[in-house]
Amino acid sequence: MKRRHLWGLVPLIVYLGACTLGPVVSTLLLGFRDPKGHWGVGAFRTIASHYQFTDAVVNTLAITGLGLSLELCLGLVAAVILAGRLPAQGLVRACLLIPLGVPTIVSASAMRYVFGTVGCLNEVLNRLGLIALPIDWTGNRWLALVTVVVADAWKVTPLVMLILLAGLQAIPRQLYEAAQTDGAGPGQQFLRITLPLLRPALTMALIVRGVDAFRIFALPLALAGRHLPVLSTYAYVEYLEYGNQHTAAASSVILLLMILMTIGAYLRLAGPGEVLR
Amino acid sequence: MKGLRGIVLAVLLLGATAPLYLLLKVSVSAPAEVMTPHPTLVPHTVTWRHWHRILASGQMAAPLRQSLVVASSVAVLALGLAAPAAYSLAQLPVRWRYGLLLALFLCRMLPEVSIALPVAVVFVRWGLQDTALGLLLAHLTMVLPVVAWVLTTTFGTIPRDVEEAAALDGCGIWRTLTRIVLPLALPGLAVSGLLAWLFSWEEFILATYLTLEAKTMPLQVYYYLYQGNWFVTAVAATLMTLPVLGLSAFLQRYLRETNLAGAVR
Repeated sequence: MKRRHLWGLVPLIVYLGACTLGPVVSTLLLGFRDPKGHWGVGAFRTIASHYQFTDAVVNTLAITGLGLSLELCLGLVAAVILAGRLPAQGLVRACLLIPLGVPTIVSASAMRYVFGTVGCLNEVLNRLGLIALPIDWTGNRWLALVTVVVADAWKVTPLVMLILLAGLQAIPRQLYEAAQTDGAGPGQQFLRITLPLLRPALTMALIVRGVDAFRIFALPLALAGRHLPVLSTYAYVEYLEYGNQHTAAASSVILLLMILMTIGAYLRLAGPGEVLR
Repeated sequence: MKGLRGIVLAVLLLGATAPLYLLLKVSVSAPAEVMTPHPTLVPHTVTWRHWHRILASGQMAAPLRQSLVVASSVAVLALGLAAPAAYSLAQLPVRWRYGLLLALFLCRMLPEVSIALPVAVVFVRWGLQDTALGLLLAHLTMVLPVVAWVLTTTFGTIPRDVEEAAALDGCGIWRTLTRIVLPLALPGLAVSGLLAWLFSWEEFILATYLTLEAKTMPLQVYYYLYQGNWFVTAVAATLMTLPVLGLSAFLQRYLRETNLAGAVR
């Protein structure tokens, strides 16, 4: 029997219990009480009648759906290219990873120079002759949504790429060689070997990114402000601008539920062993 | 096929680097080149005017100090709390270890707003708003799960035999830890500390909830962004980014092998 020293766990568990789980539970409780201290679902009724809240739910889901599709496509393309032979591979890789090191609020500022009315994108489109008048990218809700999705994808696609690249590199080369001898073309190899074997990496990327997309905060706030509420910023505005803890808590509870359901679905799908590989 | 790949790669590279280039470009451009219907893509003249204005105003000094203090103490305390836990975790039987790591994973996935709200309410009462201590306590809630996760991998790679051998040679637990385990874990500790530091350096949500006056760097950048002065924002954002770009590149290299997805945001 080997000796084990387990006392080291105590401080961490105490801290996370008191400062992470404690607040989350107290948010739950706050959401189910009204300002007078009575229990009930009044706060949920209130937010359900706010059009900003319904907008926030739709926006959050739309950003997540659009964002994940964009990031997975771009990330997969980049990973497949990086997995092959390239000149100056290290440099290319480093350049593609640059956005990952940029703080989110900085990427928000940079995106203003891209998507502003007098921004770079309008100028490029204009020079290419595609538009005559500048587009107000954050003026209309759906355009603003696309702007936020692109801004978010800019920062996190490299992460998706890294996860998928690790998955690609774990696929044994012999499989491709065998497929080639049997006469499978590149397209067939991709569909029959790469995609199925990449499934664990794809699910992992999907979940990690999905949860982060649900929690998106800084980009919609900095790029579109009040025009584009998402669940996080809705909770923020309810608390810090209207001083209403209970509705803020209620919308946080909805967000929490969405995240827990996503993780639950993932654990059913993949099994805990895969998360912790 | 080769040509197509080259074009796609060029587009991806352009996309990945262009926004940062624009940030730098705006920070050294004359307003006449930026705030017009037809902004230049390559600056015709370079001016350091905005940099002078920001640096001379001294507005960045306080946020810089606040961010440095908070991030550094977060890094130190995160290691202090997570390293013993990770050391213990690495010794647990697989089933228990997986359970606890899964719990840490879930902690990382909790929405920040649901942690920030009650914390902010309590901190107002305790007078911890606008203090480095308050931010430190809040940042640790999000940093600890990640750091403990990464460090568990680190300690897991140190063979238990080495420790047993030291114990047989008469080393007590403290001596074994300080002479054998910690030196072997040093690279992992350094990387985790850096990870914690970077997380705190760019953390935005919790800081927004807990700050009125004493802004951190991200809040200062947001403040300029909100005011709408593109040039000042560009300078502040560049100031905040350039020092850490290299650090984070180093971090990605190291974390490539270990639990990337759990660690990098």
